[in-house]
Formats: sequence, structure tokens, C-alpha cells
Amino acid sequence: MSDLVWLSMAELGRMVATKEVSPVEVARAHLDRIAALDARLRAFITVCAESALEAARAAEADLMAGKITGPLHGVPWAPKDLYSTKGIRTTGGSKILAESVPSKDATVVSRLSQAGAVVLGKLNMHEFAYGPEGLNAHYGDARNPWDGSAHRIAGGSSSGSGVAVAAGLAPGSLGSDTGGSIRIPASLCGITGLKPTYGRVSRAGVLPLSWSMDHVGPMARTARDCALILGAIAGYDPDDPTTSVLPVPDYAAALGGEVKGLRVGLLRAHFTDVATPEVRAAVEVAARRLEQAGAVVDEVNLTQIDHVAAASSAIVASEAVAYHAGWMRTRAQDYQPDVRERLRIGAFVSGAHYVRAQQVRALVRREVDEALAKRDVLLGPATPIAAPVLGERDATLGDGPSDVRSALIRLTRPINFSGHPACAAPCGVTASGLPIGLQIVGRPFDEATVLRVIDAYQRLTDWHTRRPAVA
Amino acid sequence: MLAPMEITVETLQRLGGFAWTDAELEAIRPGVLRLLEMLERLESVPLDAIEPTTQYRML
Repeated sequence: MSDLVWLSMAELGRMVATKEVSPVEVARAHLDRIAALDARLRAFITVCAESALEAARAAEADLMAGKITGPLHGVPWAPKDLYSTKGIRTTGGSKILAESVPSKDATVVSRLSQAGAVVLGKLNMHEFAYGPEGLNAHYGDARNPWDGSAHRIAGGSSSGSGVAVAAGLAPGSLGSDTGGSIRIPASLCGITGLKPTYGRVSRAGVLPLSWSMDHVGPMARTARDCALILGAIAGYDPDDPTTSVLPVPDYAAALGGEVKGLRVGLLRAHFTDVATPEVRAAVEVAARRLEQAGAVVDEVNLTQIDHVAAASSAIVASEAVAYHAGWMRTRAQDYQPDVRERLRIGAFVSGAHYVRAQQVRALVRREVDEALAKRDVLLGPATPIAAPVLGERDATLGDGPSDVRSALIRLTRPINFSGHPACAAPCGVTASGLPIGLQIVGRPFDEATVLRVIDAYQRLTDWHTRRPAVA
Repeated sequence: MLAPMEITVETLQRLGGFAWTDAELEAIRPGVLRLLEMLERLESVPLDAIEPTTQYRML
């Protein structure tokens, strides 16, 4: 197998620009690896070999003509299969949309294409993004590459993105995050995943789960690669009325600095303290590592987080059933059972419940804002557990027993609720060699600082460079 | 004046425009009751002066 598949997007872009490697060679290396491993890993729903090579040849021709579009010119990537892609089916991981072929790209897909990036294919996911395990009854369950023997879940809903990036099938991806669907698979698969501020990145052309909680963001192996992708996709879009008109900074240029003097709040109650002992210890070590590098670390307890599970469920469940109501009346049997059940439950949330949940949301957002008024970022685990075995239903957390599903979303969902930017990245491994993920939460629209902290941490440690068992 | 009506899982699903079988309703009943219990607890959160984020915008 070619070592090209383990290079970062930044490095691939540099090598393409300096003509050390051809975009066609890079695309072929990834397509060969997909052909060799994906029958087992099930990261892809659709592989676009021909169109990927065609795009790579076009990128090469531009390069030879002296036209280079930027740092992602000729660099491959793959979106979760809920991003509309012109001429390529977009299933949402569902049977219902199995033959749906959009006539135009999602805004962010279009922006990455304009940046010269090459689509390798469309990635597996929990059906319609409604589940944190990353399971799919129609296209097969993506397999976490960190365990060569047991089938462990990749986490979801962007499971294929987590697996593809971790296993070297694609150097970068776009996931979507409604309750943690970027950060959960990033944590379980040992990669870096950023949920930007609500409104930073356009959702136009992305299948919705919950309009007011959905976030679009990058997944890659490094903070630098996330910065490159974010720089290409962020910014106002007239097709998404929630996008902000705030200018987009140069995220990659903001990297490379130190964390000396940066104020970091270690999230204790409801976050670090509810994680398993291995996860808790790894996150505390990460906090000390940042402290040794000059950051000023103190502890934070958010008190309103207790209400997030109920309020967030009310919002997501009712928005999801509103979107799916038509199909739920006519094609209910075509949903996988767990998703169908969740959608049905959403029909029982009243309007008063929904509004009360949005009031709670304002309360939680205010509390996170207050914590960040005195600090630059907050730090905690991304997930309280490492990747469970497929079918495992129960987990034991720091505050008692939990079902796996609730455990997976417990630490990420509050930040969808509040809308702040948050990035997950690897910070250790369990005794059985599974990745452990931390998350850094920042002020609204301050993705640059969030990425800067992760980048500094990745220059201090090597967790992000480790390769999984299957790879 | 209308007579008081007992609101059940069955009536609620009909209000939503769905028609599910008894078996389908039974399957979701535990989940529905769990969610409604959770939502009931939100009643005790002091929220009177807080404007709901019905149009959610960070800025």
C-alpha cells in the first residue's frame, strides 16, 4: 500500500503544488486502498472511482497550465452521504433515498470542488443521521478499524467519515453534527473532528435531521487539515438563512502558535467526572500537558447541563418528525427499526414542550457564554467511553449505569444545544488499544482558537499519528 | 362546553396524523413515557423571563 494514504491533506496539497506527486497518483492510491479494505470496513456507500480520476486529471491539467486553486488543489476527500452531490446518488443512508440523484451540489461540496478537492465517494452513516452508534441496516454497519478481531462501532452518525479517515481511505471528510455526530466518531476512531459555531458553515443541500441543531464540519487526522477544510467551506451563503455574515478568518494561518497564557477551563461536573476512569485520566493528563506548555487551567462546573437531555430530545425529535412526516405516513417500513421508533416518539412532543426546550437552550447557552467570558476555551472528554462492541447496550459511567446510546451523546449534545464551536481529537488509548477523545469548546465564531489549541496539543503529543489495527 | 377528554398515546398519534397498529404503539410506549417524564421535569426549571430561541442565531 502507498504511503500517500497516510499523508495529511496539507502535505498532499503541498506535494501536488510542487509537482512532487500527481493528483491522479494520489486519487489512485486512495481508490486502491478503498478497494482493498472497504468490503470489511464498510466506510463507503458509493465509491466514485471514475469521476474521482476524472477530477484528478482535471486538477493535474490545471496544475500543468499553471493554475492552482489553493492548498486543497488535487487533494481527495469524501463527504458523508447526506451532502447533495450533483449526478451522484445521495442516500442519507436510507432505502427511501437509495436512488435519489441531486441536480446540484450542496454549497459546501461546491466550495470544496472550487478549491480543487477531489470527491472519492459518499460515506456511510446512521440512517438519516438519527443515531450516535453509526449503524446502518441498509448498507451495512461501518466497522471501527481499531479492533482487528471484534466488530466495534465507529460512532455516529458520521460513522463512514470516522472509519475512512482513520483507516487511510480518505484524508478528510465532511460530517454533520446534531448531537455529536462529528465528534463521537472522531473520538471513537481516533481522528480530529470540528463542529463549528451554528451559522458558520452553510447547511444548504445537506439533508436535515434537526434544522436548529444541525452543524456541518470537517473531519480529518489533524487540526491543520480541519482548518484547511473549514477555510474553504465557511462563510455566508444566501441559500442558508442561518449563516453569518461575519468574515471568515484564515484558520490555517492562526495555527502554529503557543498556548502560553491561554485560559483553559477543565469541565468537571457532567463532563470529565462522568467519564470512565481511563477516559477521565487521559483528559486530565491532556489538561496537565497544556498546563505544562503554559496554559492556565482551572476547573468549571456547568450546572444547567442536567436539563439538556430532555430539552435537546424535544427539539431534535419534533424537528425530525416534522421533516420525515410524509415518509413516515407512506413508507414507515422502509426505515431501519431504531430510527423509525425515534421518529414516532417525536410525534408526542407538544408545541409547549418545544418552546420550553428552546427557553432551556437560551439558559444553557448563557451559562456556556459565562464560562467562556473568563476563559479562552473549555476542555473535557468528547465521549465518556471508548468504542463499544457492536450490540453492546450498557455502559458504566462515573456516575452510574447508562445505556450506550445515551452515554455516547452525553458530552457532545450540550454543545449542539448551545451552538458553540467544539473540536474532538485523540488524547490517549485504553488498555485494549482503543482511542480516547477530548473536546475543546470555544467562544462563538472563535474556531481559530479552538483549532489553535488542538494544533498545539498535536505538536506536543503523537496520539493523532497512531494508526489503527485494521490499517 | 366540550366534555373532558383523556389524552392517551393513541389520541396523540392520531392528532399527529399517523395511524399505527396497537403493536407499533406498544413498541414505542416506553420511549414515549420516558420522554414525557423527562419533559415534565423541565416544568420545574425557572424560565419565566427567558426568551425562547425560536429563531436560532449565534449572531
